[in-house]
Amino acid sequence: MHSVVLKEERCIGCTSCLKVCPTEAIRVRNGKAKIIPERCIDCGECIRICPNHAKSVTTDDISIIKNFKYNIVIPSLTLYGQFPANIGIGKMLNAVKRIGFDEVAEAAMGARISVHLLRDYLLKKSDLKYPIINSSCPAVIRLIQVRFPDLLPNIIDLETPIEITARVAKSEAMKRTGLPYDDIGVVFITPCTARVTSVKNPLGIEKSYIDGVVSIREIYGDVVRNIDSVSNGNIGKSTKESLLWSIAGGQAEAVGIENCLEVDGISNVIKVLEEVELGKLDDIKFIECSACYGGCVGGPLLIQNPFIAKNRIMNYVKVAEKSIMSKEDLDRFINMYEEGFLRLTEKIEPKSVMSLDTDLIKSIHKMEMVTEILKNLPGLDCGVCGSPTCRAFAEDIVKGENSEALCIVKSMEYFKNKIT
Amino acid sequence: MDNIRYDFEIEKDDFERAGEASSSIKKILRQLGLNSGIIRRVAIAAYEAEMNLVIHSNGGSIVIEIDPRKVTIFANDKGPGIKDVKLAMKEGYSTASDRIREMGFGAGMGLPNMKKCSDDFSIKSILKEGTFIVMKMFLKDGD
Repeated sequence: MHSVVLKEERCIGCTSCLKVCPTEAIRVRNGKAKIIPERCIDCGECIRICPNHAKSVTTDDISIIKNFKYNIVIPSLTLYGQFPANIGIGKMLNAVKRIGFDEVAEAAMGARISVHLLRDYLLKKSDLKYPIINSSCPAVIRLIQVRFPDLLPNIIDLETPIEITARVAKSEAMKRTGLPYDDIGVVFITPCTARVTSVKNPLGIEKSYIDGVVSIREIYGDVVRNIDSVSNGNIGKSTKESLLWSIAGGQAEAVGIENCLEVDGISNVIKVLEEVELGKLDDIKFIECSACYGGCVGGPLLIQNPFIAKNRIMNYVKVAEKSIMSKEDLDRFINMYEEGFLRLTEKIEPKSVMSLDTDLIKSIHKMEMVTEILKNLPGLDCGVCGSPTCRAFAEDIVKGENSEALCIVKSMEYFKNKIT
Repeated sequence: MDNIRYDFEIEKDDFERAGEASSSIKKILRQLGLNSGIIRRVAIAAYEAEMNLVIHSNGGSIVIEIDPRKVTIFANDKGPGIKDVKLAMKEGYSTASDRIREMGFGAGMGLPNMKKCSDDFSIKSILKEGTFIVMKMFLKDGD
């Protein structure tokens, strides 16, 4: 299952998305972009770049709340940067709640638990593989699965703040309302395409506690309409640490890790992970990777420019209190982690999608053919054939996935030579 | 033939392109469908060899050969050759200049690292002529 989809009627077959896809998962065939599902990591780069808004996301409709007796909404922490800073977090949360939810659970809760678990427990463990890679960016995890399978053991096995919030909030609501698990709905308001996929098709956990995912874009209008008529309420529980979480470098700052490397933007993440793979960054303790520029505030489903959003959130950071957690609470969460409730319990398996064939000898033969075809291609990587690079074009031919396409540069040369 | 071979020319002091050969090698192995463990070993060995050629040699080449039994890397250069190979194989021994160390290279781990990554490692060096390294990584079932 993938969250990134194509609105075919809008696609004009241009090559914009071909070029930005970090896993070469897109081809243009018969004038329309096609996504190769095994390769797609749902990072949303193509959504961001498409000039015709043909790349889109499948999310749940807000009407999903009708399926439940009691509904909890978790707005992403990035919501706070989508409105002017004088609005106040409480007002935003209440405006989201008014859309039709019984309760709003702040992602600040999960972020706070994550920060304390990392700082006061997980990073002190002795069996860690350095550099540790954050588990919070689902697009990065899928990227590692596809392109850097050797680094899977470096990912810290802590659930993401959103899932933690969902788990704690749902469990508490069950106790408070007396309703069974299935009657309580948890809806996450997302800035992120990869997060949608990780709810529908989870990685590292058996099942998500989140029942529906709706994009911030979709509810933005409702929130704007509600915001004047709601109170600032007394529900904001943000801490400095939780607010920092959605900004690139914020996790490491919140956790207070020395010798950490922060990298954002998926092409930069790839470059850094390549260095890690070569063993050149073993002296670094923690690598905070975000697929989106600027961190989650740069998410593809957000309205506001990430730089402006960051500025607004930083204004809240200035006045927010630092998080303090009692020994009892910390022990309780450590326990939940050890029991697997807040932990990635399922092994993340490598996905080999780049190979030409499963049989090595066949692969070698195909590789020879690729090399031979490449010699006859112009190497301009123009993308007009529908493959992102000349190399990918050659591979597609060898794999038998592209029998009809032709190289326009080569054809032009051929005709030119015929005329002269 | 069931093997495939790629040649990469490496120029002295070409820091701009340094790392490109080993990066291409990694991509090739991944496309051949090899196991990520062996890909990593080959990539590290090729990278160290490539950097050695850029930093210490007068230029040379990295050649990679893959057959169903093994991956072989040949790193050959045009001199100046290593005076004391035994010493050069010691961890931490380096002849790199301060300038190169400031750039984060020349930690004296290149050759030992290459050996560590290979199942079979041989080095021959002739002063003024060049250094010739052959590294073999054998494929096991499942690679």
